[in-house]
This record gives sequence, C-alpha cells and structure tokens, in this order.
Amino acid sequence: MVDTPKSGMPAGALPMLILRVLQYGSLHGYALAQRIHILSSEVLAVEEGLLYPTLQKMLVKGWVTAEWGISETNRKVRFYRLTPEGRKHLKAELSEYDRVTQAIQNILRTA
Amino acid sequence: MGEIFRRIRYLINRRRFDAELESDMEFHREMATRAGRSNFGNTLRMREQAREAWGWTWLDRLIQDLRYAVRILARSPGFTLMAVLVLAIGIGVNVAAFTVFDVVALETLPVRDPGSLVRLERRSPNAYTDGAPYTSLLFYQKNAKTLSAVMGVLGVPPVQVDDDIQQASASFITPNYFTELGTPAALGRLFDPTRDGDPIASPSVVISYGFWQRRFGGDASVVGRIIHIDKKPATVVGVTPYAFASLGGQRPDIWMPIVQQPYFIEGSHTLTDPGDSAVRLWGRLAPGVPAMTAGQELRTLTDELRRQHPKDIWDKEYIQISPGGHMQVMQPEMYQVAAMVAVLTLLILVVACANLGGLMLARAVTREREIGIRVAIGANRGRIFRQLCTESLLLALLGAFAGLALGCAVIQIALTKMDTPKWVSAAPDWRVLLFTVAVMFVAAVFFGLMPALQIARQRQHKTIARQVLVGAQVAASCVLLIVACLLVRATQHALYTDPGFGYQQMLSIDPHLGRHGYAPAAAQAYFDQMQARLRATPGVLSVSLVKLPPLGHEVDRETTEIAGHKVLIYPNWVEPGFFQTMNIPILLGRTFYPREKNAVIVSQSFALQQWPHQNPIGQRLDRDDAKSIVVGVAGNAHINALSDDDATEQYWSAQPDDMPDMAVLARTAGPPDSLPPVAKSISESLDTKIFPEIRPIKLLYLDKVSGIEKAATAVSLIGMIAVLVSGIGIVGLVTFTVSQRLKEIAIRIALGAKRAQVLSAVLRQFSWPVVLGLVTGTGIAAAASKVLRIALYGINNLDPLSYAGAIFVLVAIIAIAALLPARRALRMDVAKTLHYD
Repeated sequence: MVDTPKSGMPAGALPMLILRVLQYGSLHGYALAQRIHILSSEVLAVEEGLLYPTLQKMLVKGWVTAEWGISETNRKVRFYRLTPEGRKHLKAELSEYDRVTQAIQNILRTA
Repeated sequence: MGEIFRRIRYLINRRRFDAELESDMEFHREMATRAGRSNFGNTLRMREQAREAWGWTWLDRLIQDLRYAVRILARSPGFTLMAVLVLAIGIGVNVAAFTVFDVVALETLPVRDPGSLVRLERRSPNAYTDGAPYTSLLFYQKNAKTLSAVMGVLGVPPVQVDDDIQQASASFITPNYFTELGTPAALGRLFDPTRDGDPIASPSVVISYGFWQRRFGGDASVVGRIIHIDKKPATVVGVTPYAFASLGGQRPDIWMPIVQQPYFIEGSHTLTDPGDSAVRLWGRLAPGVPAMTAGQELRTLTDELRRQHPKDIWDKEYIQISPGGHMQVMQPEMYQVAAMVAVLTLLILVVACANLGGLMLARAVTREREIGIRVAIGANRGRIFRQLCTESLLLALLGAFAGLALGCAVIQIALTKMDTPKWVSAAPDWRVLLFTVAVMFVAAVFFGLMPALQIARQRQHKTIARQVLVGAQVAASCVLLIVACLLVRATQHALYTDPGFGYQQMLSIDPHLGRHGYAPAAAQAYFDQMQARLRATPGVLSVSLVKLPPLGHEVDRETTEIAGHKVLIYPNWVEPGFFQTMNIPILLGRTFYPREKNAVIVSQSFALQQWPHQNPIGQRLDRDDAKSIVVGVAGNAHINALSDDDATEQYWSAQPDDMPDMAVLARTAGPPDSLPPVAKSISESLDTKIFPEIRPIKLLYLDKVSGIEKAATAVSLIGMIAVLVSGIGIVGLVTFTVSQRLKEIAIRIALGAKRAQVLSAVLRQFSWPVVLGLVTGTGIAAAASKVLRIALYGINNLDPLSYAGAIFVLVAIIAIAALLPARRALRMDVAKTLHYD
C-alpha cells in the first residue's frame, strides 16, 4: 500500500468522526483509523498520537466503552463501542455541524 | 456526575487501564508495520499524552515532586532541621496566640446548647451599662416570647465567710442559672427554680469546686453544713463541678439565690429599685428565633418598661444582644487588642520566613548543577518552579507539625501556670488546625515563592532577592524589639515613678452603704463617725471621702472633643480634704468649700487642653445643665486610669445625695497594716450589718502594674526570639556568601589587601538592606505604637530611649552575626585556597 499525501484533521472533528464510524458496530483502534482514512477517500489520516488521547477522553466522557475481543490477526485487543450517551452526543454534534456548515456556505455563496 | 466517577475509576485502576492502553497502542503499531508504514514516535510520550485525558497527570507529578523533595531534604538534614526549627518557632507562636483567641472568643462553652445563649446589655445612642435592674429582668422574663429563659447574675463585693481572714468572692444568681446551662453538681445539688426561687426558703448557697477544696479540704460532708456569710447563716447545698463552664467567665467562690439577696445584704433595695442597674442579664433564645427578632421584641418591651418607669429607662434605650455562649463576650476594644497581638506574632512569622527564604536562596547556588542538569534534560521553568514549590510546601508541612506541637506545649504550660477555667484544654480543635494549615500556606508562600521564582529563572546569583529578605527580617525584628522596649520602659516607669498621688500608705474603706439602703442623712452620720474615729487612731495622717476610690470596681469615663480631638475625662466626686489625703497638689486656685455647688476642679492636663494660654481659674464648665466655675487646678493623677497618660480628670464637690455612694480614704504614717481591723471594728460598732470592703491601694497598684509587666515580659521574649532567629539567619547568609567568594577573598589578600577592606567588600551587600530594614522598622513601630499609648503609663510612644535601645541591641546582634563567620574566613590559608581545584 502506497502512502497518499495525508491531510491533517480539522480541530475537534475527530471525536465526531469516531462516533459516526462506530455507529456501524464496534471496532478496535487501528481499524478505526483505517476506516476513517478510507471513508475520507484517503484524505484524512488519523495519527496514533491523536487517536489514543481522543479515545481516552471519550472513554472518560462515557461516549464509548471498550471491551476485549479478538482481532483479525488473532490477537486479544480492545474493541470500542458506542454507548447510548455517545449516540445522543453524536446526534447533537451532527446537527450543530450542519448548522455551522450551512452558515458558512451561506456566507460563501453570498459574500 | 458520571464523568467524575469514571475519572476516579481510572485513578483507582490506573495500572490496569494503563496496561490496556499500552496493549492497544502496541497492536496499532503491529498493524501499521504490517501495512508497511513505519511511523515510530516516542511510545512512552504518546501514552503519557493519552493518559492525560484521565485528568490525573497533576497527581502523578505531585507524587513525583514529593518523592524528589523528600530525597532532597533527607540529603541535607542540617538544613532541614534548621528550617523546620525556624518555621516551628514562627508558626508555633501564631498557633499559641490563635489558640488563646479561639478559647476566649470562638470556642463555645461546654454547656447545654451554647449557640442560643445570648448576653443582654442596656444600650442607647449615648449611654451604656453592663447591668440592668432586677425589676427589668423580671419583666423580660415574664413577657419576652422570643427568649425561652432570662438569667441574671448580681456580683457583690467579697463577703466574709465565718471568721476567715481572707474574704471570699460571691455572686447572686437567678435559680434557673444552673438548670439552663445543664450543669451537673459535683456534690449535693445545685439551684433549681422550684426550690430556690422563694425568698422565704431556708437560705442556701452553692460553693465552687476550688473553694470546696481550698477551704473544706474536699470534705464530702460539706453538703448540709451551715456557714456564715457576713454573719448570716446559710446551708451549703452543693458544689459546682471541677470543669464548670460559667457565663462570661465569672467564677466566684460562692453562689447564692438572687431572691435571698435582701437576707444576705440587709436593707438592700437592689431587687425592688428600678433605678439600680446592677444585674447582668443573659438569655436563651427560644428555639428557631433569630437574635434580630428577639432584639425587636425586647425593644418593644423596653418601650413598655419606659412607660412604667420613665425616670429609669433611657431615651431610645434598646437591649443589645450578643452571642453569650463563649468564655468572653467580645467588645470592640478587645478586638483591637487581639489585632495588636496578631500583628506582633505575624511579625515573628515574617522574620522566620524571610530568614528561611534567604537560606533557601543561598542553598540554591549549591544546587545550581542539579537544576542545570534538570533543565538540560528537558524540564521547563514551570516544572522546576513547581518542584521547588513542592519542596517548600513539604518543609512548611513539617514546620507546621512542629509548630502545632510547640504551640500546644506553650498553651499547656500556660494553662498549668494560670488560673483558667478547668474545661479549657490545650488540645487543638478544628479551628486551630484550620488556622495552622492556613499559616502553613502563608509561610510557604512567604519563604518559598521568591526563591523558587529566582531559581527557576536561574538567577540565584542575583543578590537583590537575598537583600530584600535581609531587609524584611531586620525591619520585622526592629518593630518587635521597639515595642518590647517601650513596654519594658513603661513597666519600669510605672514601678519607679510617682503616679501623681500617694498610694504607698493608703487604704480605701468602702462600706457600700447605698446597697444596704442607707438614706443620705444616715450615710452622712455613719461617715462622720467613721472619719472622726479614724482620725483619732494613732498613725492616721489624713482621712477624706471620695465617690470613686482609686483603682476601684467602678470607673466613670466620659469623652469630649476639644479642638477636634477626643479627650477622655474621668470625673469624680470628692470632699474638700481629698486632695490633701491623696497627696495630689493643688497647682492653682483652691480646693472646694464643703458642699460647694457650681464649682469644679480640673486636672492640669485638662486645663492645658481646654484653655491653652489662658488662666483656667474662673472659666465656665458645664455638666448636666449645671453651670460651674473652675475654682482650682490639681496635679495630674490618673487614679482610675493608671496606664493612660492621655486621661484627664474633673473633680466635683460631693453633695448630700452622694453620701450613700461614698467611700473613705485614709493615709497612714507607716504601712497601713494595722488599720483594717480598726476600721472593721469601728464599722461594726456603727452598724452590725455593714461589712466594709477594705483595700490597700498599694497592693492594687502593684497588681495593676504586674499586668503590664507580664505583657512586657511576653513581648520581650517574642522580640528576643525574633532577633535570635534573624541573627542565626544572618550568620548562615554571611557564612554562605563568604564561602562563595572564598577564592576572590584569597586573591585579594594575596595581592595585599588589608583584612578590614576585604571584610567591608564582602559585607557591603548586606549593609544597605540592614539600614533600610532599620529605617522601615522604626517607621512602622512609630506609626503603630500610637495604639499602645493607653498602656504605656506616661511613656511617650516615641520615647527616644526605647528606640535607641532597641536599635542598638539589634545592630549589635547583626554585627556579631555578620562578623563572626566573616572573620573566620579571613583566617584561612590563602595558599591552600588558591591551590584548590
């Protein structure tokens, strides 16, 4: 696999993306990073140094929980799963995001 | 809420969670390597960053810093011991002072529901008294709905028990006193309203535990025994407990039911006279009633009382309610004293902290390498600063423990030495502990902050911080020493100079005729007889009458304003012979004619203030609508304000109506020891129910002076401690400075510099901080000692001798502290020093 040029993550967007990706089902950390990378058409890269602090923060906030599972490489690893609280938070985040992007687009169109 | 619990869960199970995180990241790395990416960051650092999300990084760092601080302090036990000792003194003095304040003003009495106890005092915008008429007590007791109980205490002059040589102190109390406080009897029973509220019940008394031990040797058969109080038989019914907590700290030997007061003090009208404001009132607020509501109700009731006794209740009178469940009901002037003591003890803390700060800065130079290494391997200034602050806090904590122990030990010693109520204990309560913690933090900031800032910025070589600290401790020591010197001088002045009146061979004989219901004419007859027979007694030089005897129980005091500043006036009512008896000179004019009306004699101090550059004789002086003319000027004699040199006096001629309240003054040729029995027998032959209170003025005088003597000793001690502590600090600083510049000194000497020159070069950096400290300290002392004037017995608060003495002592100690280590350095082996490394 050849590395494509990576873009940085917009500040504060990562928790929302993680929550969104986890909606499909629980994933381990590496898969999460991969999924975001692929879903963004390889535009966004999630660095280890950002992913794990964010996940820890989300664990503390109670938006996700972690439980042991077996990875595709047959290794014991933790899978992150969305909690009802996380689901609620995602909904709020999304509507807020929509509102803001709408506003930005309004400005871009008219100004 | 859930988030906090989760955080705490992460704290408790941090090892497990950390392992999980590590496994996660390891897996991530494995997968990334598989995918052909080789992104190797610092795994440890990344994990640390991730862990920060749990919010416990500060705790990790704190523990890390604490461990490090413990190691550092343990490595230099000499410094640590010294620092803890200095801090223990600084904190201990403050803890001891606060404990006293706590016991007196904050701690509640160990009685039933102390929170609802209140002290009730008569007040009006321009008058106050601490007593109230018994008739008012009964009225409030009957009508106040907001008070569940009203208690009264009527203090009386010492009483004669059987044929004892020493009189006993006594108080009359309402029978609900002990039941309201929930006091259990140590022996027998205490008063209760059902048995002791009846005037015709058989007379009974309760005695104090101390009196029981002292006079009856703790004999259990004392209950039921009949004793004679001023010759009136009464039964001892019980003994108050050993650790009895009474209201207002009053601890008489004998307690008597107030309704039986007319029996014990024959002829007294105190219980029926609505004008006799003699009973101190206490109350208990009804459950759930705030003091404000009670105050409003009492104001209405007082208005009602005024309608009944318009003569005796003041205009706009109200009852002031203050918390009563403490040892002392604090008055504004007591807070002033407390504030003064607080300032003095805080100065000690300043000295201790400045001292320690200097030592820490000095040490910082030797720690330069260590801190340099830490900076080199990536610690930033903030991290170093935090580490140093943790170290200071740890030191402060050790100091606080030692200080608390020291303070409690001091209090314990004081408790055994002094006659304090037995319920008071030296063990610190939560307020003292809280105070200690607060002082600990203040101390840590004082001594730790500046050095930490300097060191973290790697400026430990700058001398300015050290100089500031030296200046601060010199200034604080200076203030303490000057105050100590002033008080010592005041004591000496009081002991060895003439207070303006003869006190050596003087006796006051106060029969308290008014309390026995004497009419003016009868009192006049009594005094005529008494005076005539005293004059006929050999050895008696002069006899006269006065209303307020010197150093008596009662003091009358008025304030007036002259030319914009307040002047305290002590009025008194005297017979013409008073000035001769008291040895007070009449400087101008004459003394009174007997019964002279509209005439006043003023003290010189008053005349000088009221009529500067004028002849005071013939001037008008009004008092209570009566227009009077000044007929004489007497020498200053603060017979009832010994320590206050600013007091002034006004004397008025005693009128027939004053007679029941007068007392006899007698001056003898030799010591007046033989006179009291004579006076007693004269009085007995005049009226068997009168037991005059006979007091040698000299003893009272020495008693008064010993108070200031104690204060002077305490402050001197504190001052000397401060000076010693700063002396030790200066020794340390100079030793350090010299050792730091050893090489330079050696070179100077090798090049032929004179030792004195070298010395001055080394010590120059301390000379201006010392001078500045002395100037500042003197200035602060001069400004602050104004409040001391009232206690200085006529010593000016700017007394040059005290200032010179204090500064001399301080400079001498500083000089010795600086020269000793510096001289030692000069005796070094120059060659050896120069060859060293």
